Parts: sequence; structure tokens; C-alpha cells
Amino acid sequence: MESAASAALQSWGLSGQVIALLLLSALIYWRGWLRGERNGARLMAFLSSLMVLFLATESPLDAFDSLFLSAHMTQHLLLLMVAPPLLLFSHPLLPMLRGLPRAFVKEGLGPFLSWKSLQQFFAWLTAPVPAWVLFALSTVLWHLPKFYELALSSPAWHGVQHASFFWSGVLFWWPVIQPGPGKRRWPKWVAIPYLLFADIFNTALSAVFVFSGNLLYPSYAAVRASHLSALEDQSLAGLIMWVPGSIVYLVPAFVLVVGLFTTPQMRQTAPPKRVRSSKPKNSLWRSAPLFRRLAQSAMLLVAVVVVWDGFGGQQVAALNLAGVLPWIHWRALSMLALLVVGNLFCLSCPFMFVRDAGRRFFAPKLRWPSALRNKWLAAGLIVLYLWAYEAFSLWDSPWMTAWIISGYFVAALLVDSVFRGASFCKYVCPIGQYHFVASLVSPREIAVKDRAMCRSCRTYDCIRGNETARGCELYLFQPKKAGNLDCTFCLDCVKACPHNNVGLLTVTPAKTLLSDTYRSGIGRLSKRGDMVALVLLLVFGAFVNAAGMVDPVMMWEHGWRVGAFVLAGAVVLPLATVWLCAAIGGSVERARRLAFALVPLGVGMWAAHLLFHALGAILWLQILLLDAGLLLTLYTAWRLSQGARLKVFVPWASVACLLFAAGVWIFFQPMQMRGMMR
Amino acid sequence: MDLLSTDADAGDDALRLISLLALATLAFADGGKVQFQRKAGAFNITLFSTPTPVRAGRADFSVMVQKSGTETPVLDADVRLHLIKREANSIAEVSAPARHEQATNKLLYAAPVDLNTTGKWRVEISVQNASESALVTGEIEVLPPEPPLLAHWPYFAVLPVLAILFAVNQVLKRRRAVNRR
Repeated sequence: MESAASAALQSWGLSGQVIALLLLSALIYWRGWLRGERNGARLMAFLSSLMVLFLATESPLDAFDSLFLSAHMTQHLLLLMVAPPLLLFSHPLLPMLRGLPRAFVKEGLGPFLSWKSLQQFFAWLTAPVPAWVLFALSTVLWHLPKFYELALSSPAWHGVQHASFFWSGVLFWWPVIQPGPGKRRWPKWVAIPYLLFADIFNTALSAVFVFSGNLLYPSYAAVRASHLSALEDQSLAGLIMWVPGSIVYLVPAFVLVVGLFTTPQMRQTAPPKRVRSSKPKNSLWRSAPLFRRLAQSAMLLVAVVVVWDGFGGQQVAALNLAGVLPWIHWRALSMLALLVVGNLFCLSCPFMFVRDAGRRFFAPKLRWPSALRNKWLAAGLIVLYLWAYEAFSLWDSPWMTAWIISGYFVAALLVDSVFRGASFCKYVCPIGQYHFVASLVSPREIAVKDRAMCRSCRTYDCIRGNETARGCELYLFQPKKAGNLDCTFCLDCVKACPHNNVGLLTVTPAKTLLSDTYRSGIGRLSKRGDMVALVLLLVFGAFVNAAGMVDPVMMWEHGWRVGAFVLAGAVVLPLATVWLCAAIGGSVERARRLAFALVPLGVGMWAAHLLFHALGAILWLQILLLDAGLLLTLYTAWRLSQGARLKVFVPWASVACLLFAAGVWIFFQPMQMRGMMR
Repeated sequence: MDLLSTDADAGDDALRLISLLALATLAFADGGKVQFQRKAGAFNITLFSTPTPVRAGRADFSVMVQKSGTETPVLDADVRLHLIKREANSIAEVSAPARHEQATNKLLYAAPVDLNTTGKWRVEISVQNASESALVTGEIEVLPPEPPLLAHWPYFAVLPVLAILFAVNQVLKRRRAVNRR
């Protein structure tokens, strides 16, 4: 029996959604907690509440809830009587609002939070009588055999049951704890009869389980995994509900009674110490160039190994580092980095390491030709890449991959040995352009912390450089820089700024797409046809690239059709889209601006595709990434089309919805796991 | 609320979150609906399945092996599933070993199985441990697969729900602006 017990204790679940939700909640609360009164007890209460939710839904209790009513009852008590009061003790409203992005709270939640009808409804819902009645109704209804059996037979209804226990628990405990902000709405004594009535109700319900001679839920009779009969298990469940349940109601009632008889002087405690959040420190980022060198060295080492294996190793993609590392792991990791931090690939680019070493011997003298100071060359190279990827199955050829990487080193060295600045990064590198565009939706940006300080600066070290660091090689002047376009995260400006006024700051993803201000080193987005072409190419290219690995397209794609498919999907279709939207909207300049609204959807598609290769098919995650991309695209288009919504917004929203549908169709097809042994 | 700050290292936390998510995608079988229960030799064998009902495509089968009489779970057995579907001209067969590692509930032996056709499948479960062996059979009904859009409807429902919330948000903002005037 000992081994059965140990096997039972190992029965932990790992639901991706639950873990993600709990971690995200903890992260938001923690961020808000850091920005407010740092009350340790409240933080502990919040984390304990999440821990209890994790125990209830992922521990062996969950694995055994379909076999033992007693396990299921314990799970329900945790959801109803333990997690909600802990959550309310943490006074979660203010920390959660502080932890969310300010723009989202102000623009997104603000109107709801100040909506009088909603406030009145919430006040009614959390008043003692409705809260008590809803809690009692939820408890009774879900314990009726018909509904309980429904929850046992359907995972979806089981989820609904657990959610209603938890949320009715939150409502029930609200009048008892009365979490902030705001004054207490009811005197404390109200909670005493409230809890006593709840205990009477709980006792009556428990008694039904303990003393009923009939099995209430026949499903538990189907399988017996212990010496307990189903009826004995039912009585045990009733006892669990009765004794610990009563303790949960009676102990707070007792504490409240004691509190009523305690004099105010006895209750006086020191006011909570308000700790102001410290100003962001920049010292770490000022030493970042060293970190950058280390990252570049590591990536260079990886590149050398990949090239060596690509040329000399076994020419089977799945067994060769040149097949696995660049096409599967590196692409997915750099996309993850883009989504959670920013352009970390350019920061650790190994080609720049070699280029910098080369510049010790060849100091460049020339400026990049003015006719090529745009993105057309890079856009052409991206089309070439999309075509070659399909035509030569690059992912399947370690030898060709090794050649491409070697060629990249040579090209970076040659271009930047002849031309000044980071001409290769800014005008040539297709990988760089992909990262520049995708980093428009990143949550981090190299930016100025205090613009007033820049106005008094006369040395402009961030762009000119000084004896400690070179200035921006991509000609981005920090006070006029907006968004991550053309920024390689090299951190030279961070080190060069003598006022310690440039840093890696948190921003609202994609917010930079909403403005068309003059951007240093770029100009206005609406005036840059080459930039529009690049963006559309990368957005539509995401769908073309992913479509290339599904059966219906693969069966059709042969010979000349490969080029036709890439040209039609990544070049002709975007051109036709802009033309059509400009014709309907009546303005080419506006169509150029709106084209940038598609960036989030394109990034969502790249992310869904590349993470598929790294993690396998997780359809829900892929759909969620596309959902997020579509919603951000629609929001951006909505904001950019102010004043002419019907003519401007509708065509672009339709394009976005069609692309979304294409993405969903692609992910619903059987997909080739390119370059992997599966 | 200072949006521009570097102290909360959201990047690191998010990376950890995603690694955990990746780990969590190793989907484990977790019991499910009881398909049948049979006694054979010294064993009492129960077959569970998910999803409910079983549909063509990937299904998780879990087997509970207990000693007849005492109902003690048997944890050291070698359990194999063999599913057969006979049609007029063809036979579809799938075999899979069932293991504790693939189950959330470690008292069960679980096996993910791909069923490519609909209809009645015959299930054979063979159980063997050091001293005894048993073979039980039963039947399960496999329904056609759910259309993928229907199977993932909550992830699509997010879109209209958020669109409606956005519309309400815009109405409230407009109303607030009018009230201020």
C-alpha cells in the first residue's frame, strides 16, 4: 500500500493555462506591490492564495477527484473557503491596477472603473445579503446530483463548477474582510451573524452527506481504488465539509467577537510605512557593453560550431547543428526574446563582433551611397530569402546553411570595412530588418528617461560618442528617437550618455505605431515608402513562410510555382492591398500609415509559426498569439483611422481579418515539422 | 504608477513563465470516463478514456489495474492496449504500451492513441506482472472528430468578447466627454 500512497502523492498535473494564469497574476501583483505600500503580509497573502489555487487544481487532489468524493470535497473547500479570503486579505485591487500597464488601466479599464452603473452593481453584489445568497445558491446547486454528475462527466463543466465556487467564495468573503480601497461599508459586527448563518448552512449540507444512507453521486461507485466503499467515502467527504468548514467560519467569527470587546487603544498599531519606489538605477546597463561582448562571443562560438558541422558533419538536418540550431532553436528563441524583452539578437550579433575586429585593421572612409540609404536593398534580400527557403529547402541543407552563415560574415566585414557607421545593419541585413520591425511590439525600448535633461544637453554624446563609448552607429539621436526601428540594442548610447539618462525602459507594446512624429534616423513613417514595403513584406511573408509547410501548399509548390507563390503572396498581394485600401480610403499617405497597423498580426504569425517548431503543435497557444496580433492590429488601425473610420478602418480591418483567417487555416492543416526527427 | 521603469524585470519573469508553459505542454492523461470494467484472473481492470465522447484523432486511454477482492492498485504490471477495428475489406489496428509516466494519476497506466476511423473499436488490454497475467476485451464507440473551429471555440470567442468590451469602452468614453462639456 505504501507504493500506492507514494504513487498517489506523485500525481501532480501541469496545466499550461493554469500555471500561466497564476504566474501572470503573481507578476502583476508584485509589480503593483513594488510601486505602492510594500506590505509584506499582503504580498504573502496573495502568493498563498495563488499557492492554494495551484494545490486545488494541480495537486493529487485534482487527479483523484473523479475517484474519491472526499478528495473532490477537499478541493472544493480550498476553492471556496481558503483561496478567496487569502486573496481578499491581500487587498488586491490597487496592486493589480498599479501592476498593469498605465495606459491600459487609464484607457482600457478607466471608463469601466468609473462607470456608475457598474459601481452600483458591484456594491450590491458585495453587500452581505446578495453575497450570502449567491454563495449558498452556488453551493447547493452544484451539489445537486444532476449538476455534480454533469461536472464529473465534462471537463468544461468541471471548470465552470470550480470557477463558480471560487468566485462565489470571493463574493462571500468580501463583506467579512472588506478589502480596500475605500472605507468599510458595514460595521464589523455584521460579519458575526453572517458567518454563523453560513456555518449553520454548511452544517446542514454536510449532514446530508454524512447521514444519507444513499449514494448521492453514482459515478463514485463505478471504480473503487481503496478499501473505503463509495458510501463511506461520501460520509468522509461530509465530515471534511463539516469540521474544517465550520472552523473556517467560526474562527473568524470568534476573532471578530474578541475584536468588538477590545478597546481602540489596544488595537492601535503603527501606521504602515510608505516606502517610495526607488528611482530606476542604470548602473547595470552602463556596464552592458561588456555583457554585449560576452553575448557576441558566445554567439560567435555557436556560429563557428554550426558552420563547422554544416560543412563537415552528417548532411541530415535533424542530426546536424546547422539544421537544428539556426532554423529551429535560434529563430524561436529570438522571437521569444522579441516578445518578452526586445531585439536581443542584434545585441548579441556575432557578425558585428567580427566586423568590429576587422575595423581595427580597415578604418572605413566612405559613407553609404545616398541612393541606397533606404530599405529597398534589404527588402529585395528578404524576398530572395523567402524564395530560396522554399526553392532550396534551406532548413534541410546543413551545407547551404553553413554557406549562408559564412557569406553573412564576409558581407558584414566587407560592407562595414568600406562604409562608415553600421551600414550593413541599417541598409543590408535582412535578419536585422526582421528584428527591427518585430521589435515594434516589444515591451522594452532603449529610450530617454527624462526629456527635460536632454534639452539642456549640448554635447550630444549619445549620437556623437565620446572617449568612453562610440555614438549611435545607426544615426539615432535619442531625444528624437521613437520606437525600436533601426535600434540594434547595442547600448552604446547608454554608456555614452554622461547624464545617465538613457536606459532600457518598459513601454506599452506597439504604442509607437500610433504616432507619426519625426523619428531620428528614419523620418516620418508615412513618408517612407521603402519602410512600408519592408513592413508589408515581413507581415505577408510570415503567412507565406508558414503556408509553405502545410500539405495543400507543399503538394502544389514545384519548380516555377515556388517563385510564383512567394512573389504573389509576399509582393503582389501586399501591393494590391495598399492600392485597394488607398483607393477606398482616398489617401495614399494614410494607407502608408495604416500599413504599419498590420505589424502586430505579422509578429503574431511569426511567433505562432516559430514556436511551433520549437515546442511542437500547441494549437491553443498559436491561436492566442494570432488573437493578440489581430486585436492589437485592429486597435492600432482604429486609432490611426480617426476622422474617416468607415472608409479607412473597414478596408484595413478586413485585410487583418482575412490574414487572421488564413493563419488559422494554416495552423489547422497537418504541418511538416521541418528539420526535426519526430 | 511609473510606467517607465527598469526595476521590475518583467522579461526574466516572462521567460520563466514561458519555459514552464513549454513544460506543461507535455499533456498527461488524467483518467476520464469509465469505458468498461472487467475481472480477469487475479485482476480487476478498468479502462478510462478522454475526451468524452471518444473522437477520431488523438485519445488518451488510462487503465487501472487492481487485485480482485482487495481492490489494491497493482503498480508493477506491464500493460498493453491493442485496438482493432474490422471493416468489410480492411482492418485498422493500433497497439500502445500504457505507462504510469504518461498519466497524471500515477495509479493509472496511460497511453495516448491515434484513432483514424470512426465506429466501434474492439479494445484488448493485456496485463502481466511477475506472477500473473490477464487479457480483457471490450468495445468503445469512436465518433467523428470535432471540427477544429468548434474544438477550439473558447480561443476564438475571445475576439468578439473583447470587441464588445472595446465598443462599450468607446461608448463610455464618449459619454464621459459629453458630460464634461
